[in-house]
Amino acid sequence: MSSKESRRNELRTAIRQLSDRCLYSAAKWAAEQLVGIEQDPAKFTPSHTRFQLGSSSIRRRFRTTEIASTPTAGVSSVSTPVLEEDEAIDGDFYLLAKSYFDCREYRRAAHVLRDQTGKKAVFLRCYALYLAGEKRKEEEMIELEGPLGKSDAVNHELVCLERELSTLRKNGTVDPFGLYLYGLVLNKKGSENLARTVLVESVNSYPWNWNAWTELQSLCTTIDILNSLNLNYHWMKDFFLANAYQELRMHNESLGKYEYLQGTFSFSNYIQAQIAKAQYSLREFEQVEVIFEELLRNDPYRIEDMDMYSNVLYAKECFSTLSHLAHRVFLTDKYRPESCCIIGNYYSLKGQHEKSVVYFRRALKLNKNYLSAWTLMGHEYVEMKNTPAAVDAYRRAVDINPCDYRAWYGLGQAYEMMGMPYYALHYFRKSVFLQPNDSRLWIAMAQCYETDQLQMLEDAIKCYKRAANCNDTEAIALHQLAKLSKELKRSEEAAFYYKKDLERMEAEDREGPNLVEALLFLATYYKSQKRFEEAEIYCTRLLDYTGPEKETAKSLLRGMRKAQSGFSSIDIEHLPP
Amino acid sequence: MAAVLKPPGNFTVTPHKMSVCILLQIYAPPAQTTLPFPFPFSSVAQHNRLGMFLLALTKSCDDIFEPKLDELITQLREIVGELDHQLSDHLTCRLSSLSSPDDLFNFFSDLRGILAGPDSGVVVDDQIILDSNSNLGVFLRRCILAFNLLSFEGVCHLLTNIGTYCKEALSSCPAYELPHLDDSSNEVEALLVYENMDLENFVFDKVTEETEARKMASERVSFHIHAPKALFGLIEGIITSVLCCKVHSSSFPLNAFESILRQLQKLAPELHRVHFLRYLNNLYHNDYPASLENLHCYFDYSAGAEGFDFVQPTSSASNSFGRYEIALLCLGMMHFHFGHPKQALEVLTEAVRVSQQQSNDTCLAYTLAAICNLLSAIGISSTAEILGSSYGPVTSIGTSLSIQQQLFVLLRRSLKRADGLKLKRLVASNRLAMAKFDLTHVQRPLLSFGPKASMKLKTCPVNVCKELRLSSHLISEFGTESSIMITDGVFSTAWLKNLQKPMGSLVLSLENASGANSNAFHFCAQPNSIPGSVLQLLGSSYLLRATAWEIYGSAPLARINALVYATCFGNASSSADVALAYTKLIQHLAVFKGHREAFAALKLVEEKFCSISKSRILLLKLQLLHERALHLGHLKLAQQVCDELGVLASSVTGVDMELKTEASLRHARTLLAANQFGQAAAVAHSLFCMCYKFNLQVENATVLLLLAEIHKKSGNAVLGLPYALASLSFCQSFNLDLLKASATLTLAELWLSLGSNHAERASILVQGALPMILGHGGLELRSRAYIAEAKCYLSNPSFSVFENSEVVLDPLRQATEELEILEYHELAAEAFYLMAMVFDKLGQLEEREEAAASFMKHIKALENPQNEQDPLFNIH
Repeated sequence: MSSKESRRNELRTAIRQLSDRCLYSAAKWAAEQLVGIEQDPAKFTPSHTRFQLGSSSIRRRFRTTEIASTPTAGVSSVSTPVLEEDEAIDGDFYLLAKSYFDCREYRRAAHVLRDQTGKKAVFLRCYALYLAGEKRKEEEMIELEGPLGKSDAVNHELVCLERELSTLRKNGTVDPFGLYLYGLVLNKKGSENLARTVLVESVNSYPWNWNAWTELQSLCTTIDILNSLNLNYHWMKDFFLANAYQELRMHNESLGKYEYLQGTFSFSNYIQAQIAKAQYSLREFEQVEVIFEELLRNDPYRIEDMDMYSNVLYAKECFSTLSHLAHRVFLTDKYRPESCCIIGNYYSLKGQHEKSVVYFRRALKLNKNYLSAWTLMGHEYVEMKNTPAAVDAYRRAVDINPCDYRAWYGLGQAYEMMGMPYYALHYFRKSVFLQPNDSRLWIAMAQCYETDQLQMLEDAIKCYKRAANCNDTEAIALHQLAKLSKELKRSEEAAFYYKKDLERMEAEDREGPNLVEALLFLATYYKSQKRFEEAEIYCTRLLDYTGPEKETAKSLLRGMRKAQSGFSSIDIEHLPP
Repeated sequence: MAAVLKPPGNFTVTPHKMSVCILLQIYAPPAQTTLPFPFPFSSVAQHNRLGMFLLALTKSCDDIFEPKLDELITQLREIVGELDHQLSDHLTCRLSSLSSPDDLFNFFSDLRGILAGPDSGVVVDDQIILDSNSNLGVFLRRCILAFNLLSFEGVCHLLTNIGTYCKEALSSCPAYELPHLDDSSNEVEALLVYENMDLENFVFDKVTEETEARKMASERVSFHIHAPKALFGLIEGIITSVLCCKVHSSSFPLNAFESILRQLQKLAPELHRVHFLRYLNNLYHNDYPASLENLHCYFDYSAGAEGFDFVQPTSSASNSFGRYEIALLCLGMMHFHFGHPKQALEVLTEAVRVSQQQSNDTCLAYTLAAICNLLSAIGISSTAEILGSSYGPVTSIGTSLSIQQQLFVLLRRSLKRADGLKLKRLVASNRLAMAKFDLTHVQRPLLSFGPKASMKLKTCPVNVCKELRLSSHLISEFGTESSIMITDGVFSTAWLKNLQKPMGSLVLSLENASGANSNAFHFCAQPNSIPGSVLQLLGSSYLLRATAWEIYGSAPLARINALVYATCFGNASSSADVALAYTKLIQHLAVFKGHREAFAALKLVEEKFCSISKSRILLLKLQLLHERALHLGHLKLAQQVCDELGVLASSVTGVDMELKTEASLRHARTLLAANQFGQAAAVAHSLFCMCYKFNLQVENATVLLLLAEIHKKSGNAVLGLPYALASLSFCQSFNLDLLKASATLTLAELWLSLGSNHAERASILVQGALPMILGHGGLELRSRAYIAEAKCYLSNPSFSVFENSEVVLDPLRQATEELEILEYHELAAEAFYLMAMVFDKLGQLEEREEAAASFMKHIKALENPQNEQDPLFNIH
C-alpha cells in the first residue's frame, strides 16, 4: 500500500476518533489534510466502498498498538471504528453526553457522565468540565473588567481536573486524549515543564491529534526547548516542526518543511496558507498574493489566515481587492476576529482611522490575545496622533508576545513622535535585536539618532550601514549615508556612497532630486580631486536636468576647462623650446 | 497571604465591608429589628471603644488589601475584650446566613434603618442613631449605594466572595491561588508597607530605593497601597507615584519579593505599580536589564490613556500627552544609580526638554534637582567631555564657567523654581544639596569685574548651617497640616496593625553594642502622621550635619548627629543611609576606642545588612582592616585589602570618585609604611593630579599632607615643608580644622627633624595645635601630638630632663597608653624608646628596663607580624 493510502487511512480513523471525543478543531484539521492528499482516481471508488465495511478484529489490533507505540504505516489499515460490546451500555450515556456537548451544554454533558469509568467517557467528562470552566471564565472576565481590561478571572475547574488527571496518569489509566487534556490544564496552570512532558507522551502515543501538537508548540519558546523534546518519528511531526520553526521565526527552515510536506499533501489548503505565512514573514508579498488568490478560489468561505492576506493587500494598497475581501468575510461570518481585522485594515487604508479602531477593538473583544490586532490598533492610534493609546496597545502586544518586533518598533515610533528620541532608542534596539535583517528598523533607529535633539551622527551612520547591508529596498540608507558623510566633511566616504547610490538608481531606472544631488556632489568632488575626466562626465549628465543644478554644472565645466587649459599652457611654457 | 484583594480605585462592596456594616448594626442597633442581644455593652467605654475601632476600620478601607474574617475577629478581641465571643459569633452567623441574592437585598435595606433620616423627629429613648453625615454614616451610605449600583452578576460575585470569606475563616486553610505567599509569609513574617511617596525620595537621595526593616509580630504579609485616587490628590499635583517598599532587609532576597510581586500582579493586573515595584526590586539587586525592562513597562502602561483609571489632577493641561517626562526622569536616575553618567545626562536633558514642552514645571524642577545631584556626585573634569551640544540648561548659562560654577547656578535656579512652585520637599532637598555644595566649595563671585571684587577664598560654614536649618523647616510645615485625609487613613491602618504589637522602646546604644545582640538595632518607631518622605529628608539633614562636622573636625558633634539619625530616623530612611550612619559611628569607634570595639560593632551591623548595601559596609570593613594591618605592620595584608578596595570602584571615569581616591590614598600609605618612598610619592602625585582634575579640593588637602609625611619619613624634611604648608593653607580655606591641626603637627615634626635649633618653633606649633587635637583628635593623632611634644622638649638644648622630667614623661605615658589600645606598634615603640632614654638619663634603671622591654616587644611584633594570630583578621 502506498504511503499516501496509509496516511489517508490513518487520518480517516483519526477523524472519527477525534470527533467522537468532540475534539472538533483537531478533526477539522485532520479532515483538511485528508482531502489534501492527492486522490488516486483509480482507487477512489473501491476504497470508498471498503470503508463502509467494518472489521472488529483489525480494530482491536489497532487499539492495542495505539497505546503501545507509534503505529507504523501498516497499522493504520483500519476501517470505521465499531463500538465495543462492553461499552454498549455506557455508550447510551455517552451518546447523550455527546449530544449535550454538541449543543454546548458542557456541564450537563459532564453530569451525564459522572459515574462512567470508560476512558472515553472520562475524557469527555473532563473536557466538558474544562470547557465549562473556560466559558465561565470568559463571562466572568467581562463581568468584572470589560473585555479589553486585564482580569484575574481563572478557570475554576482547573484544580479538580489537574488532581483527577494526575491520579489517572499515575495509575496508568489514561489514554492519549486524557494526556492531551492534562497537558492543556498544566499549561494553563503554569507548570510548563510537566505540561511539555505530558504532551510529548500524548503525541508519541497518538500523533493525529493536532490540538496536542499546537499546545506543545506554544510551549516551545526557544529552539533549545524544541530540540530537547523526545519525539518519536511520525509524519505528523513534520507538520509540528514546520509550525514550530515558523513561530520561532526560522522562516526558511519552516518553508522547507512545508514544501516537503506538499509532496504528499499537495492539495492541502492548510499547507498553502502556512507557506503564505512564511513568505509573508520573508516579505515576499507577490507570492503571498498568488497563494491567497488560489486559496480563495478553492475555498471561498475561508476566514482563517485571511487577515494576513488583507495585510498584504494593505501593503500593496489594493483598495478594491481589499474591500472585496472585507465584504466577503463580512457576509461569511462577521463576528470572527479575523473578519474584524480585515475590515479594520480596509478602513485604515481608506484613512478612516476612527472606524478602523472600532473594528480592531471588536476583534480584540472577540479574542483579546489577538496579537496583530493590538499592533495594528497601535498603528491606527499613531495615525490618529493619540500616542498614549498607541503606547498602551503596543505594550499589550509586546506582553502577549515579547518577540513581536513590529510592536517594539511601534513603541519606538510613538515615543519618537512625542519628542523623546533618546527614550525611543530603547524600543528600536529591542526591535532590531529581534529582526536584525530588516532595513526599515535600522533606518528608523538611525533617524532617531539623527534627530535635532540627539545629533548622534556616528551612531546614525552605524545604523544606516547595517540597513544598507540588509537589502534596503527603498534605498534610503545609502542616500542618508552619503548625506551624513558629506555633512561630516568626509568627502571620500560621501563620494563612495553617492556613487553606490547612483549605480543603484541607474540600475532601477529611478530619477529624482536624489539623482541630481548625487551627480552634483560627485562632479564637485572629482573636480576638487583634480580628476577632471570623471567630473566632466557627471557635469554633462547634469546638463540633462533643468533647475539651478544645470547652471552649477555649466559653471563647473567652465571652471574645469579654464583650469585645464591654464594648466596645459603653463606646462607648455615650462617646456624647453 | 492573609488578605483579600479588591480592585483598586473605586468603592465596591466587599465581604469585609459587610462585616463592618454588621458591626455597625451592633454599635447602633436599629429600633425596630431585634438583635439577639439588645445592647450588649457592659460599659459606655466599651461601646466607645467599638466605635473608635469602627471609625478606624472605615478609614482604612481604601487599602487594597482587607483583613480576613479571622483577623478582624482577632482585632475585635483586642478591642472589646470578653464581649468578643458574642460579637464574633454574631458576625459569622450573620454572614453565613446570607445565601441568596435576596438575603443581600434585605440586608442592605435593613442597614438603612440605623441611619437617621433627614427629618427623623421621633427618636426613641437611648436609641443610638448614626448621623448620615458622620464618618460612619457616610461609610454606610457608600456601602448601600455601591450595592444598589451592582448588577445581578455583581451580586452573585459578592455572594461567592462572602462564601469564600467565611470559609477561609472557618478552615483557615490557604486559598488556592496563593500557595507561595503562604509559604513565604510564615517564614518571613514581614510587613510590607507601600507608602505613598513622591519623587523627592529619589531626587535627594541618590536613587536609593526605600527599603527598610520592619518585623511584625503578626503572621502575615500585608500590603498597603493607597487607592490611586487618593494618591494623586496628594502632593501638589505631582503625578508620579514613587513607591516605598519596605522590605525586611536581611531576610528578603530578590526572588522572595519577586514572587510576591508576581502574585500581586496576578491578583491586580491593572495595578501597574507592580511593575514599578519590580523595577525597584531589580534596581536594588543591581539587575540592570530587568530594571530597564520594568521601568519601561511601567510607564508604557501607566501613562497610557487606557492603562490606569486615576483621576488626573485638574491643574495639568497636558493630560492627553501622559506623563512620559517622568519616565525620562526616572530613567535618568536609574542610569545614575547604575553609574552611567553619560546616559543619565542624555536622558535628563531629554526630560528637561519634554517637561518644558509639556509645561510640566514640577517635573522640570525635579529634573533640575536630579541633574544637580548628578553633577555633584560624579566627577566631571570638563563639560565638553560629557555634555552634548544640545545640553540646554547648561549651555544656556554659558560654557565659560567651570563645572562647579554651573552646578552652583543650576542649584540656585532649581531652588528658586521649587520655591516658586511651592514644592516644599523639593525645596528642602534642594537646600540640602546646596548645603552639600557649600560644604566643599569655595564661593567665588560668579562675575568678578573690577579691582574691588573681593577674592576671599574660603568656604562658608555659615551658609551650610543656614541651608541645613532652612531645610529642616519642612517638618514644622508638615507638623501643622497633619489633617490630610490620606495621612489619616494611613494612620488608622497603622494603628490597627499595631494593636497586637508591644510598644517598643527606642533606645539604641552603640556604646555597649558589643554586649548586646542584634536586636539592639531593632527598634520600631510609633506610627505618626508625618509622611515618611519628610522624615527621610529630615534624617538626611542630620546625616549631612554629621558629615559636615566630620569635615570641619568636630568629632563629638559628628557623632551626636549620626546617633540622632540612627535613633530617630532609622526607620524612615533608606537602608543605604542607615548603613552610612552606622559606618560613621563605627569609624568614630575605631578612631577613639580602638579597633577591637569597632570590629565588634561592625559584626553586629554586618548581620543587619548582610544582604543589602553590601558595598558601604564592605568598604568600612576593608578600611578598618587596612588601618589595623598598617598598625600591626601586616603590610602584605594591607596591600591585599587595598587592592580589594580598588576593585570595588566602577571602571567608568568620573564615577565612584570617593572610592577611587580612598583606594589610592591607602595604597600610597601602604607603600609609605613599607618605606618605598619613591613609589609612595608617585602614587600620591598622580592622586593629586586626579583630585585636581575632578575638583576634589578637600581630598587634595589630605594628599598634600600625605606627601609631606612621605618626605618627612624619607628624611627629606626640607622638601616636605612646602607640602605641609600647602596643605595647611588648603585646610584654612576649607575650614578643615582638625586636618589643619594634623598638618600643623606634621609641620612641627618636619621642623624638629631639621635640627635642634628649630625645636622652639616646633614647640610653638605643637602647643598651638594641641587644644584642637586633644579636644577632637583620635587616639593616633593625640599620641603623635604627645610624642611630638616630648620630642620638642628633649631636643631643646635649653631643656633639662633632671629639672622637669614629668613634662616629658607624662605625655609619653599618655601616648603609650593610647597606642597600646590602638595596637600601633611603630609609634608605640618610638614612645617607649623615648621613655627608656629619659629613664636612662634619670638613672631610674628599673623603669628603664621596663620601657626597654616594651620597646622590644613592639619592635618584635612589628618585624614578625605573621607570628601574631589575630582573630580579628579571620572575619575577613
